[in-house]
Amino acid sequence: MRNALLAATAAVALLAGCRQSADDQAANTAAPKSSQVLPITDDPAMVSARAPASKEEALKLMHDRHEGMEDIGDAFKVLGREMKASSPNLATVRSSAATIAGLAPKVSAWFPTGTGPDIGKTRAKPEIWRKPEDFAAKTRAFQAAAQKFDATAKAGDVTAIKAGFGELGKTCKACHDPYRAEKH
Amino acid sequence: MKQPVWDLPIRLFHWLLAALIAFSWWSVKNHHTDWHIWSGFAILTLLFFRLLWGLVGSSTARFSSFVRGPRAVRDYLHDSTNWRVAGHTPLGALSVVALLGAIAVQVGLGLVSTDEDGLNEGPLAQLVSLNVSETARDLHELFFNVVLGLIVLHAAAILYFRLVLGQKLVKPMITGRAALEPGVEPMRTGKWWVAVICLLAAFAVTRWIVAGAPPF
Repeated sequence: MRNALLAATAAVALLAGCRQSADDQAANTAAPKSSQVLPITDDPAMVSARAPASKEEALKLMHDRHEGMEDIGDAFKVLGREMKASSPNLATVRSSAATIAGLAPKVSAWFPTGTGPDIGKTRAKPEIWRKPEDFAAKTRAFQAAAQKFDATAKAGDVTAIKAGFGELGKTCKACHDPYRAEKH
Repeated sequence: MKQPVWDLPIRLFHWLLAALIAFSWWSVKNHHTDWHIWSGFAILTLLFFRLLWGLVGSSTARFSSFVRGPRAVRDYLHDSTNWRVAGHTPLGALSVVALLGAIAVQVGLGLVSTDEDGLNEGPLAQLVSLNVSETARDLHELFFNVVLGLIVLHAAAILYFRLVLGQKLVKPMITGRAALEPGVEPMRTGKWWVAVICLLAAFAVTRWIVAGAPPF
């Protein structure tokens, strides 16, 4: 029950974050403002934010994206280590979970059109912009899992944390497998 | 008259190893990291088995029967008809040792690796720092080129024997038998139950490593 409540709280917090970027977008696309609390599913606008105005801006965004993804990855590796321990260090788990939850909402703004491999060095595949709905849905799944995991980490139940870590990892993989090119 | 050259354990080892290396490559390219890791464990089991069978197995499997120093290699290159023992030649032995060694290094790197997302790691990764683990992963990826290079060399040598020297090497590795020239010493076959013991020991050591090499 408590978990469900936490998840609901996290979901609301996340949706609030999503609404902001969706609202941003609404100004551009002149989409009718809905009074719904839930965002429209498969709204690609949420992910493919505003396209950068210049190449410099695009490269800057791609750099920030790379750094951000690396920070998420580093936090994940630290978490992975703790998950193997019989009694994980909760302080470490919480700070890593918070790092991921803090960065996750940014992913929505990290992949506007014009930031693909044709612009600069990136492992983001062109498929991202060919299947914006799928990419957006997978981004949201990650964001939801990140907030949920943050809440689980705060609650401090080790069994739930380990299960949540697995779930969160699946949402990373769901995107990385189809949309991230191999290391060169 | 065809005579035994390779015993069944060696042939199974050889083809399973080839298949598992191919599978390891395929599974990791297709994001099945968990299968890749299990394939690595299977290869590790094979390597331990081969090591033991190389000490107590059939004559052609034993390291003592084919691993020779530089002088023997030079003599063999000078006049290959002088080598009168079935199995690996002194030059082929270098290839075998290099391949086994490279595959062992590759598995060792995998055991301490962590993937770039922190989702999968080898069972011994906990024994080293995260930095070492990440470096090991990069080396694991790079070192595959060394393994691949040796495999290509191995296949090229077999092709050379077939096309230039007119000697078929693949079929004996399947049937275990080959026509030997008069005076060439055939294989002395090892005992089947020794092979079973070697396999069980290899399983046991691998299991211990998969468990993260806990202290006894």
